[in-house]
Amino acid sequence: MSVEQEKLLVVKDLATTFHTAGGDLPAVGGVSFDMERNQTIGIVGESGSGKTVLSRTIMGLQQRTNVTVTGSVLLSGFEMVGASEDDKRKRWGTEVAMIFQDPMTSLNPVMKVGKQIDETLRVRLGMSKVDAKARAIELLELVGIPSPQYRYDAYPGQLSGGMRQRVVIAIALACSPQLLLADEPTTGLDVTIQAQILNLLEELKERLEMSVVLVTHDLGVVATRTSRIIVMYAGRIVEIGSTREVFAGHRMPYTRALLESSPKVSNASHTRLTTIPGRPPNLLKLTDGCSFAPRCSYATDKCRVERPELQAADEPGHMFACWNPLPKTRRTVRK
Amino acid sequence: MLRYVLRRVVMLIAICFIISVGSFYLIHLLPGNITTVIEGPGASPENQAKLYKLLGLNKPIYQQYFVWISNVLRGNLGTSFISQTSVASTIRAALPIDLEIIFLSQILAFITAIPIAMRSARKPDGWLDRAFSAGSFTLLSVPTFIVIVLMVLFISIKAGVPHTGPSSYVSFSQDWLGNLESMALPAIALAIGSFVVYYRVLRSDLIATLQEEFITMARSKGLSQRRIMWRHAFRPSSVALLGAAGVNIGGLLASGFVVQYLLNIPGLGYTLISAIDTSDYLLVQGIVLVVSVGVVLINFIFDFIINIVDPRISRE
Amino acid sequence: MSNFPQFSVLEEAILVEKPEAKEPLGILFWICVGWIGLNIVGALFANVLPIENPLFQNYSFINSGPSLHHLFGTDDLGRDILARVIYGSRVSLSVGAGAMVIGFGVGAPLGMLAAYRRGRFDTILTNVMYVLLAFPAIIATIAILSFWTPRSLFKIIVVIGVASIPLVYRVIRTATLSVATKDFIIAAKVQGATDRRIIFRELTPNIAPIAISFLLIGVATVIALEGALAFLGLSVNPPTPSWGNMINEARTILQVNPWLVIFPSAALCLFLLCLNFIGDRLRHHFDVTEVKL
Repeated sequence: MSVEQEKLLVVKDLATTFHTAGGDLPAVGGVSFDMERNQTIGIVGESGSGKTVLSRTIMGLQQRTNVTVTGSVLLSGFEMVGASEDDKRKRWGTEVAMIFQDPMTSLNPVMKVGKQIDETLRVRLGMSKVDAKARAIELLELVGIPSPQYRYDAYPGQLSGGMRQRVVIAIALACSPQLLLADEPTTGLDVTIQAQILNLLEELKERLEMSVVLVTHDLGVVATRTSRIIVMYAGRIVEIGSTREVFAGHRMPYTRALLESSPKVSNASHTRLTTIPGRPPNLLKLTDGCSFAPRCSYATDKCRVERPELQAADEPGHMFACWNPLPKTRRTVRK
Repeated sequence: MLRYVLRRVVMLIAICFIISVGSFYLIHLLPGNITTVIEGPGASPENQAKLYKLLGLNKPIYQQYFVWISNVLRGNLGTSFISQTSVASTIRAALPIDLEIIFLSQILAFITAIPIAMRSARKPDGWLDRAFSAGSFTLLSVPTFIVIVLMVLFISIKAGVPHTGPSSYVSFSQDWLGNLESMALPAIALAIGSFVVYYRVLRSDLIATLQEEFITMARSKGLSQRRIMWRHAFRPSSVALLGAAGVNIGGLLASGFVVQYLLNIPGLGYTLISAIDTSDYLLVQGIVLVVSVGVVLINFIFDFIINIVDPRISRE
Repeated sequence: MSNFPQFSVLEEAILVEKPEAKEPLGILFWICVGWIGLNIVGALFANVLPIENPLFQNYSFINSGPSLHHLFGTDDLGRDILARVIYGSRVSLSVGAGAMVIGFGVGAPLGMLAAYRRGRFDTILTNVMYVLLAFPAIIATIAILSFWTPRSLFKIIVVIGVASIPLVYRVIRTATLSVATKDFIIAAKVQGATDRRIIFRELTPNIAPIAISFLLIGVATVIALEGALAFLGLSVNPPTPSWGNMINEARTILQVNPWLVIFPSAALCLFLLCLNFIGDRLRHHFDVTEVKL
């Protein structure tokens, strides 16, 4: 217990179920993992794999209606699941903050961006108007926005997508959170801007001694920037391990399929990318078996009726959920 | 922004021009000899001459318009042949009463509609939301003239609340407290109509706004519910509210007319209806012109405010 | 149009239709339809119904309350209120229907054509309509009706109908735009369907639900407007009964005979409520997601 309290984040058996008109939708199920301080971990999966829901559940942002969250999320020893909005609010921004996916929609369109930053500073840190403004301009500068004193008075609509995402990051960083949840922080941006934003995040993480959870569908994004990777499929963790291990020694066929379907710089030009056949399952109609079985070329009858639990691989901390894992060989890491 | 304002000003001028042409032409809708119709058969030749001069009746019709409009722009709307007072001064005396009724009703409507809509939107389908949604939907089907008649029937007559019935109007300069008393019923009647509209518009817009990602973002910053509602949700939604208020203004004036007519409050509406009854056409024309231009100007101002509140609009 | 506050609430709901998952109309909807039907039948067959002549003045029954003889009582001239309420619905119904025939007859085709054709035709027409929309229509209506004497039902219908054209135009144009840019219309064009075919076979059925629910709300608004004009003495001349002028006549004798106000008010409000409710249910039924103008 004392060990766990020292950890920044301990997630245990976390499940998020949405109650929809079509029935209960288990968006996240049975998720357990933990995280040290000053670490960056990646959560990867296709769209619809539950990674966004997972990050929002960790943060405790789900509205109360039509959703049930069970399990446990210990954030620096504080239980977020079932905590009151007031208790969570005290931690939002200061202990845990979030960068949202789409900078086009996550900023208030009718509020100057500067005001959106110093609002946090004034409300959460009790800064004076003047101090907050000065600090907001500093933050804008920190995230690499040129002439920040002018941008302070800009409305979101007057900034480019990359700029807006920088503002979103500045807001998230305003109260120096210990944990930053970055939910697809670069999806809506141009490729060149993507790298800039990711490098910025990495640099800020070092400078401000934060921990970062990087949620993405793009393995290229997490390959060089994280120490651990969680692979999700249909709301569950299917493989978890150190970045090196997941890339080089993955055992779960889905991980391999994911790796093979993302382009690599080392590939010769015109290399055909493999696609994953089929589509992610309908979460309203999950079977008892492995949810990846319908798309898996290794699937057996057992896979279709019984769900594999996470089991330990050789390397400590590396786990996978598969009845017919890939053989334990070192595969070439192609980044 | 500048382009937008310029476009609006051009439109404003166009609309005012059309209104002036329309108001001018109204007189020509009257059957028969205009001077006789307006001033009655027994009009003195000198009054007839005055009217001829005002309307430029011996000239072709487009020149008549210029004669008339140049008079109007100098503040000369003619002299009523019945009361022998200038139309402009009659309007100046009546207008403040309309403004007072509208002002009071709007204050009442906003201070009730905004907090209730905020509450409603926070828990859509909660008991409060259901009650007010159903209630406001029903009230949408009750015209203001019925509201005020029923209020007079039940409040002034059946319950016997003093100083609220017809002909109990007291002017503000005479007795401000008595004035407020006599304005209570009209203001409430108009406020009910406005409340229904503002509540429904704001509620539905707030519910949509609260689904937006930037609201989740605001929550994740650790802001209080109160602050999120007022600072983040209300402002973008208030655009719809202001739009509704701007659109509402013409209907509000008309509702004011109805209320004044029933309660004998000597505002523009009462004056207008009496003028119609006595065939005091110059006065009718003057009121129509002033009120129409007023409505258009108020709409213009609302447009402008909306623009400041939501900078997205002029950019589109 | 500044005089129709209801529109500003309901008009935001310019609709995009989704074919699946239709919400049931519910029993209240059919009750409302029944009530509207009953009113229409009453108005059409008022002269064969077993009710008194609405103009017959019976001086031995003045301002009598409801009784078996006169279910709704009588007015200050001894006329039967029930008969007058039933006959009075004729004015409201004719104005509601007539004005909307003019408004939709002109506004709807123009709106559809402008949205379908786009280009300069659309630009010019839309700008003209926006200028007209900024016009305080209710003031204009009062003004024209006060000068265009003698007043008649026909004139009232024409004035209100013409005043509603820009509003109908805007609603139908917006609705058509949301449909006309959809893939199936583009596909039809690519396949070489004629404009006439696209307009009648593809566009019209798709905007019909919007048009119908807006039409009902429009009728309700127009009837309310006529009521207010009648109350101000600017509608059909007495002794022809209408709901609005009955309330106007009652206003001076409120103290003596409240029934004279209660019954026509109830008839008018109930009628409007049913129309608004039907319009609203239809919108939900066709699952119209709200799109801002």
